[in-house]
Amino acid sequence: MTVRLLIALAVAIALPAGLRGQEAAARVRFDHFKHRSLFPTCVECHQGAGEDPDLPIWPEAESCATCHDGTTRPKVEWAPPTESRPSNVKFAHDLVSMMPRKTPQGERALTCGDCHLPADGTWMAVQRATPEGCLSCHGTGAAHLAESGDLCSTCHLPLPRAKRLRVADVAAFPEPPSHEVEGFARGTGHGALATGTSDPVAASCATCHARDFCLTCHVDAPEQPAIQALALDPRSLAIAVTLRAPPSHAEAGFLREHGAALRTDARQCATCHTRESCFACHAPSQPVSAALYARAPGRGAGAHPVRRPPDSHGANFSRGHAAVAASTPATCAGCHVRPDCLQCHRPDAAATPGYHRAGFLTVHPASAYARETSCSECHNVGSFCQTCHQSAGLVSTRALGSGYHDASPFFIVGHGQAARQSLESCTACHVERDCLKCHSALGGRRASPHGPGFDADRLRSKNPEMCAACHGKAIPG
Amino acid sequence: MGTTALNRTLSAGAAGAALLLLVRVGGAGAQGYHLRLDTRIQSVSFRGWALDSIPVGDTVSTPGEGPTSPDGYAVRCLDGASYCAFFRPGPERRSQPLTTTADLTLWGLGVAGLSMHALGRLGADVGGADYWPGTDPAVQLLEGYAQYATHRATVRLGRQTVASRLGVTGFDGAEVSLRDRRRGLDVQGYLGWGLARGGVLPVTSPAVNPLDDFQPVSRQVVAGAEAGWRSSGADARIAYQREVDTKTDKFVSERLALQGSVRPHERVSLTAGADYDIAFGWWGNAEAALAYADRRVRAQVGVRRYRPHFDLWTIWGAFSPVPYRAADASLSVVAHRRFTARARYERYEFDDAEAATPLFQGAESTGWRWALGGTLTPAPAWTVDGEYRSEFGPGASSAGFAGSVAYAPSRRLSIALTGSSVKRPLEYRFNEAVAHTIGVDAEFEASTAVRLGLSASRYDESHDRPDAAAYDWDQLRLAARVVLQLGHGADLRGLPPSIRMLPGGRAER
Repeated sequence: MTVRLLIALAVAIALPAGLRGQEAAARVRFDHFKHRSLFPTCVECHQGAGEDPDLPIWPEAESCATCHDGTTRPKVEWAPPTESRPSNVKFAHDLVSMMPRKTPQGERALTCGDCHLPADGTWMAVQRATPEGCLSCHGTGAAHLAESGDLCSTCHLPLPRAKRLRVADVAAFPEPPSHEVEGFARGTGHGALATGTSDPVAASCATCHARDFCLTCHVDAPEQPAIQALALDPRSLAIAVTLRAPPSHAEAGFLREHGAALRTDARQCATCHTRESCFACHAPSQPVSAALYARAPGRGAGAHPVRRPPDSHGANFSRGHAAVAASTPATCAGCHVRPDCLQCHRPDAAATPGYHRAGFLTVHPASAYARETSCSECHNVGSFCQTCHQSAGLVSTRALGSGYHDASPFFIVGHGQAARQSLESCTACHVERDCLKCHSALGGRRASPHGPGFDADRLRSKNPEMCAACHGKAIPG
Repeated sequence: MGTTALNRTLSAGAAGAALLLLVRVGGAGAQGYHLRLDTRIQSVSFRGWALDSIPVGDTVSTPGEGPTSPDGYAVRCLDGASYCAFFRPGPERRSQPLTTTADLTLWGLGVAGLSMHALGRLGADVGGADYWPGTDPAVQLLEGYAQYATHRATVRLGRQTVASRLGVTGFDGAEVSLRDRRRGLDVQGYLGWGLARGGVLPVTSPAVNPLDDFQPVSRQVVAGAEAGWRSSGADARIAYQREVDTKTDKFVSERLALQGSVRPHERVSLTAGADYDIAFGWWGNAEAALAYADRRVRAQVGVRRYRPHFDLWTIWGAFSPVPYRAADASLSVVAHRRFTARARYERYEFDDAEAATPLFQGAESTGWRWALGGTLTPAPAWTVDGEYRSEFGPGASSAGFAGSVAYAPSRRLSIALTGSSVKRPLEYRFNEAVAHTIGVDAEFEASTAVRLGLSASRYDESHDRPDAAAYDWDQLRLAARVVLQLGHGADLRGLPPSIRMLPGGRAER
């Protein structure tokens, strides 16, 4: 079934293409060289190229039938073109008479063969006129596309005036070698070429480009006289161009230093960046955005930065970001806003696993006991840990010794180490009164909970209420 | 009216108020606003234990083994007690928490630099059980403040949070920040009535005291100050914070923190910091880390120390929690343009707890954690990620693998298959839990203003024990999410800091 479908698709695609090929083959093209013995001059058929420009440039179709009458010669289906080929070339055949040519033998009028015959002058080996032919008189000796930009307008119309050029014709424009020079995309490249003439914009640019093309990249188009000097023409977009970040943007310190560069001279940034492009990463703020132009009609869309984390934000960054964030909060604030922090630090009850991996609920005792990170930075012990443990039957509700910690038969007498190592974990299931049953100076076993680092005098001075919980009014010391 | 019914009523009322506010904001042409509504619901369940007891005379004794109940549960009988206790597998706890988080910012209020910010959450358990934490109370205000910001100063008034080395502190009050960008200096001071740690509720709220433990009767006043200096090569910061019980006029906490970093090279940084608990008279957390980062390699080695912090209104600090000291290293390498490998290792050791008893020996006081993983991008739209983690230490250990295969043909759509297998034995209880999960996540950006998410995952969980209390517990978790981004205000020049306008939702970042 699939094979059949593919074959059908292939046929559907190939058939129209094949038909177009047959149609082209059927269109008869006059073979000048084959008829070289019949025609001693060009103007015999192409009368308009002669002295009277009002005469038609093409012969009539019936003139072929003089020989190709179907009897002595087979009939041919030839018809003169109804309109000239789409072009941006200014040339017209009636100008030929005004184009004298210098030869070793002296100045003489330009003939048809000067442009349409090969250099050896073989009669009727007719060929299309080439730019090199024009440049043999009008050029400086360089190749067509390498010629001085000033010369373009000698033969070519600016793109907006070349009305008959189609989008496909524009897309097929050859690329001059100047465009391939490293650094051409910079202002010192194409920008210098565009503005380095006495005209508002170089004719070499205007021949192939219009303002729409510049707006592909240039946010600062309204501030650039050279761009404004170009007319609008959407056909110019047929020349594909991609805005690429300059090499400086790939340098190691770019992310850190681009703010300072912007503050030093915003004009460079403003060429390709709108104010909104900052907001792809930055929290919108006046200092960042004010130096750039806001997105507006008549301005290019500019660069579309893709937000990506800096190199420091590796796979394990979320676990260790606290120290960096505490050290340079202003750096974080460049891209993050406080709700970003609170998304994890004040978690949503209906959120699926994000910071924690899938299945974390099952394994969380391992991370929580020896606090891989501080749980209480995001979770309140009461409303989060105790609430859930209460639902799960994990909180102490009766007398101690119910046997939950059954892997250690003497846990209750030896729990001190475990408690001092992970008191936060204990408080997720136990409340103060559980511990005061033994650890109180007022009753129970009167076991002292105080251990290494305990400073009774300091705590009494800071808050004797805590001491009173076990000692009542008889706080020692 | 019951608590659940009250919650629902409050939720509906708050949702209506939010809509009214939105309508009013939308009609205020001169204003700018940004509103992000993130609504989520998930269906989850879990299962724990249920304490039970039987008369001593009903227990069954087997030679060489401990006493059990007639149906095979190991029981604990205290000397002289007439009943023995044991834990049965608990009931299934099913919950369907529904939340809507609204993040609203208003500007263009007639005074340049003035803006209003609100971040609130409505929550309810649509199943009515409220087993899952986080939906009580139904209306929670995470932040809600007015801000006036200029180039050199920012003033905030209302409910807000400050994040520093001392943690994320919430309070209702005022904060003033002054800065001299040229010199890289800034100072900050704040004062207000504090919120409970890790939460958005006052410490007096019943919701933070589900077990009816001791609880302060009045909110603490929190005051703090910070000063920082930053340059291209180094930063330094000092923070001080105190909390005072307004009823007793005694300290709840008093801490000082130092933090700094130097960058001797554009790819190398050394960050270090420590905090000192003035109230207890001991050092709290501290760490130092040397890091290298470029586009291919990220490496870090460090040492750290962790000690929990307790408020003085509890007795926990008097129990002398001991810190642990750890050394860690992590490495991430782009081994190939389509593959990145990562690894990390940490070893830690607790200080001597000075609580050893002859009857209880051999408790763990050291541990380690390591992980090894990688991310493969076989094609631009495909990402395969996997990581094996193992940790061993006091209290509990765990080991397991988690992986995902994600397909994201565009920024608008992503689909991921996830799976994991983990096991977790405990040190102080016979309970080796094993969980296998498999799931699918999908995210779709319907427009620049709407983002949708769906996920479903299957959990197979078993708890192994040498008695009848072993059990299996399977569940299907479902979750859905809708994020709406609404905004108005073309002139972004007037935007104050701390507003984001990215389409697509914050989760995308």
